[in-house]
Amino acid sequence: MTLSKLSLRNARRQTGDYLVYFVTVTITAALLYACNGLIFSSEVQKLSSMLRTLPLVIVLASIVVVCIIGWLVQYTTGFMFTKRSREFGTYILIGLENGQVARLFFLENLIVGTFAFTLGILLGNLVFQTLRAILLALFGIPYTFAFTFSCKATALTLVYFVLIYLLAQLRSRRRIRSMKIYDLIYYDRLNENAVLTKSGRRKKIFSASLVFGAIGTLLLLERSLPAGILGSACIIVFLYGFFLSFSSGVPAWFDRHTARKYQGQNLLIFRTLSAKLNTMGIVMATIALLFTAVLISQGTGLLFGAIFESRRSAEACYDIFIGTDSPDQDCGDYIAYIESSVPVAAAHSYSIYQGPDAHITDYLEANTDYYPCYSYDTWMKFSDYAALRSMLGYPAVTMTSGEYLIHCVPYQKSAVAACAQPITTDGATLRPGSIHTENLNQKLWNTNGTDFILVLPDEAVAARPVSHNLYAAMTKEPVSAKQHEALCRIRDGRNLHIAGYTTGYTTIYTAPQVREEYASWTAMTILPLYYLALVLTMTAATILTIQQLSETDRYRRQFLLLKKLGMDQREMNRALRLQFTIYYAMPAIPPLFVSIPFLLNLCNATDPGVTEGFYRPLNIICITLTLFCMIYAVYIVMAYRSLKRNVLPWN
Amino acid sequence: MLQVTNIEKYYGNGGSVTKALNRVSFRVEDGEFIAIMGASGSGKTTLLNCISTIDTVSAGQICLDGIDISTLSSAKLARFRREKLGFVFQDFNLLDTLTIEENIGLALSLTHTDPGSVQKKVQDVAQKLGITDILPKFPYQVSGGQKQRAACARAMVAGQSLLLADEPTGALDSRASKNLLEIMTQMNQAMHATILMVTHDAYSASYASRILFLKDGRLFNELIRGGRDRSVFYHEILDVLALLGGDISDVI
Repeated sequence: MTLSKLSLRNARRQTGDYLVYFVTVTITAALLYACNGLIFSSEVQKLSSMLRTLPLVIVLASIVVVCIIGWLVQYTTGFMFTKRSREFGTYILIGLENGQVARLFFLENLIVGTFAFTLGILLGNLVFQTLRAILLALFGIPYTFAFTFSCKATALTLVYFVLIYLLAQLRSRRRIRSMKIYDLIYYDRLNENAVLTKSGRRKKIFSASLVFGAIGTLLLLERSLPAGILGSACIIVFLYGFFLSFSSGVPAWFDRHTARKYQGQNLLIFRTLSAKLNTMGIVMATIALLFTAVLISQGTGLLFGAIFESRRSAEACYDIFIGTDSPDQDCGDYIAYIESSVPVAAAHSYSIYQGPDAHITDYLEANTDYYPCYSYDTWMKFSDYAALRSMLGYPAVTMTSGEYLIHCVPYQKSAVAACAQPITTDGATLRPGSIHTENLNQKLWNTNGTDFILVLPDEAVAARPVSHNLYAAMTKEPVSAKQHEALCRIRDGRNLHIAGYTTGYTTIYTAPQVREEYASWTAMTILPLYYLALVLTMTAATILTIQQLSETDRYRRQFLLLKKLGMDQREMNRALRLQFTIYYAMPAIPPLFVSIPFLLNLCNATDPGVTEGFYRPLNIICITLTLFCMIYAVYIVMAYRSLKRNVLPWN
Repeated sequence: MLQVTNIEKYYGNGGSVTKALNRVSFRVEDGEFIAIMGASGSGKTTLLNCISTIDTVSAGQICLDGIDISTLSSAKLARFRREKLGFVFQDFNLLDTLTIEENIGLALSLTHTDPGSVQKKVQDVAQKLGITDILPKFPYQVSGGQKQRAACARAMVAGQSLLLADEPTGALDSRASKNLLEIMTQMNQAMHATILMVTHDAYSASYASRILFLKDGRLFNELIRGGRDRSVFYHEILDVLALLGGDISDVI
C-alpha cells in the first residue's frame, strides 16, 4: 500500500472519528466563503455608499476567525497526534522513516482540510444567499434567488485555509521528525502536566480568582474606559485562576464535608470533573473566555439592533423632515425645492415655541436619564399638532377648554405625568390634559421638543418667542438619494454646517436615507459580531466535544465497573447525564456572571428609551442566551448521543 | 449460603454451540474460602460471571441466601449485586479519578449508606486490611498489592456476604500475592467472609479451604484441605492439576 493510499484511508477514518471537528471546519469554510462573497459582490457594493467600509470590517473579522480556527486546528491536530502517537511509532518500527510518517500525517490532514474546504465552498454558496437575503431585507429590496459563484471569494477563502492548515501542520511535522520510536510509542501514556501542582497554592488561587471575578464584574459595571479595561483584565485573571485551581478548590471543600461527598452521585461526578479540569484547566479557561466574548458579542449585537431600530423609527417618522435650530432659520428654500421636485402627499411647515419656564425640563434632568437640549420647555400650537397627527395617520385628539396636552416619548410618560403642572398664560390657567406617546420625532435638537412637547391652544402660544422652525412631509414616492443630496446641497449652500452643533445647522431626515444609514450600520456592526460569535461558539464547543468523546473508553470502563458493583441502570444514566451536563455547563457558567451584568449595564448606557424598563434588557439577555444555547446544544446533543451509545451500550 | 444446581451455559447458536458449563452443581457454606481451578477455557470465569449475575445461565439454578438469582429483574439484580456481592478483579478495577478512600467509599455510596458514616466505615475496614496510610492517595500512587487490598476493602465494606475474586493475584508479584492471600485468609477467618476465588495458580489456591476443579465445563474434582498443612495441600493441588492435564505453565 502506498503512502498516499494509507493517508487517504486514515483521512477517512479521521473524518469519522472527529466528525464534530470536521463539521466545524466545514461550516467555518462556508462562513468565510459567504462573507468573502459579500466583499466581492457588486450587488452589495451598490446597496449603499456607506457600505464602502464593509469589506474592511469583514476582512478584520475573518482574520480573527482565521486565528481562532487556526487554534482549533492546531489543538485538534496535537490532540490526534497524542492519541495516535503509538500508531506513528509502529509505522517507524516497521521501517518507515520519520519524514515519511510526518508526510503521511500531513497528507492525511491536507486531505481532510481539502475535503472540508470543498464542502465548505458548496455550503458557502447557500450561506451567501442567506446573508444576501438578510442584507437586501435590511435595505428593503426584494430578494430573488440568483446563483453566483465568486472565484475571488473562493481564492480568498483558500488563502485563509492555507494559513490555518499550514501553520498547524508544520508544527506537528517538526514534532514527528524529531521524535524517537520510544517517545512516540509511550507518548500517549504521558500525563498531561497540571499547571498548578501544589494543593495549598491552588486553594489560595481559587479563593483569589473568585475575588478577582467579583472585582472585575463590578469594574465592568462602571461606565469608564479605564475601569472597563481593568475589569476585563480581572475577568481574564478570574477565569484562568478559577479553572486552574478548581480541581483542588472543590475537592478541598468536599474533604471538609465528607458527608456531602458520599451523598448520591457527588463522589463520581465531582471527581471526574476535577480530574478533567486538573489537566485541561487552561483549555477550559480559554473556552470560558471565548464564551464570555460570544455572549457579549451577541448581546451587543442585539443591543445595537435595538438602538438602530429605535433611531430609525424616530428619524424616519416622516418621509421628509427638516428642522432648523433657530428662529432665524426658515425652511423656505427647502420647501421650494421639495414642491418643485418631490411629489408630496401632505406637508406642514410650523414652529416650535419657547415656554416661559423649564419646569418639566428641569424635572426630567434631575430625575431621569435626560439630556436637555433647551433651557426652556418647548411648546407647540394645537393646530400644528393636529396637522402632524393627521399626516402621520394617528387618531385625532381633542383639547378640552382649560387644558393643555402633552406629547412625549413613551419612556418619559410617567415622569412627565408626575411633574406636569398647571400653566398660566395670558391670565388663563391651563391644566395638564391627556398625554400622548406616538412617534413624532422628538430626538435631541431641531425636532418636536426633546423627549416631550406641550401642546397649547394656538392663541396661548402665539405670543411666545419661536424656538425653531420645522417642516414635515409625506411623499407619494420614496425620496430618492439624489433628492436627498439636493436637500443637503441647499444646507451646504447656507454655509452654516461647519461642525456638528454649530448654530444654523439644519437637520434633514428623509426616510429612505435613514433606512439606508441604519441598514449599513447593521451590516457593518451586527453582522461581524454574529459572525465572530458563531465561530467562537463552534470552536469552543468542538474542543469540549473532542475532549469528551476522547474519554469514551475510560467512561465505558468506569460504567462497566459500576454495573458490576451493582449500580442501578437508572442511576448510571443519571450519573452520565449529570457528569455531561456539568462538564458542558462548567465553562459556560462563569461567563454568565460576567456577561449578564455587563450587558445589563450596557443596556443602561444606550440611548434613553431603547432598553427602558425591566422587560427590554431581559429580552435582550434571553435572546442572547437562547441563540448561544441553540448552537451549543447541537454539539452537546451530538456528543451525548455518541457517548451514551458507546458508554452504556447495554441500555 | 450459595447453592449452584445443575447450571449450564451455552454460547452461540445453530450448528456452532459451545458448552461453557455443563451441569455444574456445588454448595458453598457461610465462611468458606473456595477456589475454582481449571485450565484456560475450562469455564471457571464463566461460572464466576454467572454467580456474580454479570452473565445469565442457560439452564439450572443459582441461589444465594435462598434467593434464586435467575428470577430477579435487572433492577433487583443490580441491588442484589451491590448488597450481597463483593468483587476483586485481576486488574484491580479501581477508578483512577478517585482516591483509595473514595474507591472504597464508592461501594457504600452505591448502597445509599448514610453519607455521614461512610468515612468511619472506610477507616475501619482499611485498618483491618492495613491500608490506612494509603487512603488519601490515588491508585496510580500505590503499589499493585495495595491496590488489590483496596479492592478487597471495597468488596466487603458494605457488608457483602460473598466475595468473588477473579484471578486476584494475576497482576501481582509473588510477594504482593502472598500478602494479598494472607489478607484474604484473614478476612475469611477473622471477619468470616465467604470467598469464592477463581485462579489457575496452585499457590494461590492452596490458601483456600476447598478447591473445585473444572475441566471442559464440568466439575472434575474437589479437594478439601481439612486440617492439612498448606504446603501439603499445595502438592496435592499440583497432583490433581497433573491429572487434569492442564498446561504445564499452569502447574509450575
